Amino acid sequence: MALIELREVTKRYRVGEQEIVALDGIDLDIAQGEYAAIIGPSGSGKSTLMHLLGCLDTPSTGRMMIDGIDASRAGGNRLSELRNAKIGFVFQSFNLLPKFNVLQNVELPMIYAGIGGAERKRRALAAIERVGLSNRVKNTPLQLSGGQMQRVAIARAIVNDPRIIFADEPTGNLDSTTGESILALFRELSAQGRTIVLVTHDADIAAHTPRRIEMRDGKIVGDQRRN
Amino acid sequence: MKLWLSLLMGLKEIAAHKFRSGLTMLGIILGVASLLTTFALTAGIAHGMRDFMTQIGGIEKIDVTRQDPPEEQTSFAEISPGATVADAEIIRRRADLVSYVSPVSELPAALTRSNQTFRAQVYGCWPDFAYINKHEVATGRMLSQIDLDEARHVCLVGRTIVEKLFLGRKDYNAVGESILINGRPFTIVGIFNFYEREEDKLRRARGEPPKGPQPGRGAGGGGGGNRRPGGGWDPFFRKNTSVQIPITTMFYDYKSANVVGLVDQGPNYKLDQLIFQVNDVARFQDAIEQTRTLLGVTHRGIDDFSFNTREEWFDNMERSIKSTRISGGLIAVISLIVGGIGITNIMLASITERIREIGVRRAIGAKGRDIFLQIIVESSVIGICGGVLGLAASAGLMRLLATLTDSENTPIVEPGAILISFSFAVAIGVLSGFYPAIKASRLDPIEALRYG
Repeated sequence: MALIELREVTKRYRVGEQEIVALDGIDLDIAQGEYAAIIGPSGSGKSTLMHLLGCLDTPSTGRMMIDGIDASRAGGNRLSELRNAKIGFVFQSFNLLPKFNVLQNVELPMIYAGIGGAERKRRALAAIERVGLSNRVKNTPLQLSGGQMQRVAIARAIVNDPRIIFADEPTGNLDSTTGESILALFRELSAQGRTIVLVTHDADIAAHTPRRIEMRDGKIVGDQRRN
Repeated sequence: MKLWLSLLMGLKEIAAHKFRSGLTMLGIILGVASLLTTFALTAGIAHGMRDFMTQIGGIEKIDVTRQDPPEEQTSFAEISPGATVADAEIIRRRADLVSYVSPVSELPAALTRSNQTFRAQVYGCWPDFAYINKHEVATGRMLSQIDLDEARHVCLVGRTIVEKLFLGRKDYNAVGESILINGRPFTIVGIFNFYEREEDKLRRARGEPPKGPQPGRGAGGGGGGNRRPGGGWDPFFRKNTSVQIPITTMFYDYKSANVVGLVDQGPNYKLDQLIFQVNDVARFQDAIEQTRTLLGVTHRGIDDFSFNTREEWFDNMERSIKSTRISGGLIAVISLIVGGIGITNIMLASITERIREIGVRRAIGAKGRDIFLQIIVESSVIGICGGVLGLAASAGLMRLLATLTDSENTPIVEPGAILISFSFAVAIGVLSGFYPAIKASRLDPIEALRYG
């Protein structure tokens, strides 16, 4: 069974009197260990899709299974637990908490998972080491460069050992060299067997990934695999 | 589980905005300080009042006073002998609900020793008089039955009398000394304690002169009022200038003749007061009824007496203490609530600033209730810190008030009042966080992540 299964998923929003169909009958499987990019112009529904996959939202109709759990009918607390245990997020604008240092930022998901202090610190340091920032543990995000901040965000995303990592335009705020190094990090993580889904509008980035899912007007219009 | 961490985060958040948090806290600090100060001040006033009420005989003291008989009895009212010692005798023998009783015959008199003269009220009475009026003998002894039976020329005097007659030596042991009361020699057999207000006691302990003009200037205030000679109100002046002699001596020496315009009107053995003390306040009305029946016998059925209790007076006092406390407390509570609104306001501003942070926390797995808890903890921490600082500030506030108003009573800080004030601060802290916390916990994670 696939790690993520979407069947006939639609998402509609009501804006005033007008109804907007953001996702229109999506069928999608993502298997364990895949490295995929969802690509499409703005307004294509890729962000909505990522919010659904990331359990930030639930579909209007259709079924969504994540790691064998039906997330399409889950309540708010259940969704929070799913996000905490199974999903790691990496955002375009990093979204680190500026008042906390690197270690505390990385520890945060484990606080909500209820993991004890010593274990938390050990795992956080291991994740920071993994992204190569062991020398900046006590720095606050404002003392770091963009690339370093994104590495901290990646460390935060992997620290709870999630089943899948979502990255929303992870290189959007970085220069091309730094962006390249972040993509290299994702490739390494993928090589270690992690499931990663990038959302981007940049075809060059999508060219890095073995699978490329193309969206337009709320529908999947292309799904290519390369070897 | 995560409460401890939430608490740390709350403290961190407050520390990150020291000035803002401080201003917000100030509302709580002032509220708590004024609440506790109000409690302490009213407790001080209540203590002073109750103290005074006890010193002047307490609620168990009852006066029998003369009243005009009802109209249907006026034509034969003279068959009543009026208030006589027989009234006191029958109460002493028959009223088992009465513990002490004393007849009183008064005389404003000149007290003389050597060349010192002081005018004071002399009370001819029974030994019970001192018990009822809560006079305690410091040196010497009380009046005794033998003093009464033999109409001895002995007296008990208050401290101020000693001070006036013995060259200002208030602490002089004058027992055994002779003084003249309207020219007749009496031996002092006992001296009462010196009674003073808490405030005066403190002042004396600090070595300051008592308030108002110095005693010793101007001749005596006589028996009237509790006004110190030369001004200044002292509730215990009358008590300290009391002179008590056996009532028999009073009658023989001073009341057996009553010359008005060169004509002797004969002896006047009517009482000026008849006082008694009930032995059980719970059976107050029963005791009054019992005494009424007995006095009906001695007064031959003429209803020419009534009972003057201080129940109503005391009730009024208690009520005014209570209403002062409640209204003062209410004002303080209002200022606490205003402080709480300040917290709500600042928390709302704070979550607006942190919408994105809340979105991030939700995205990495925080539940709505985790966010709720975080905001509540922050507002509670402000409430708790404000409460603690407010308790400390109230000490300063009390000192400030004491110097500004020169208050009669020292404030009394009761543990219960501390607890109530502090609990109020904490409750306000928690409650004022509710609305912002609910608002924050209901933020849509996606919207929150997009914000700003």
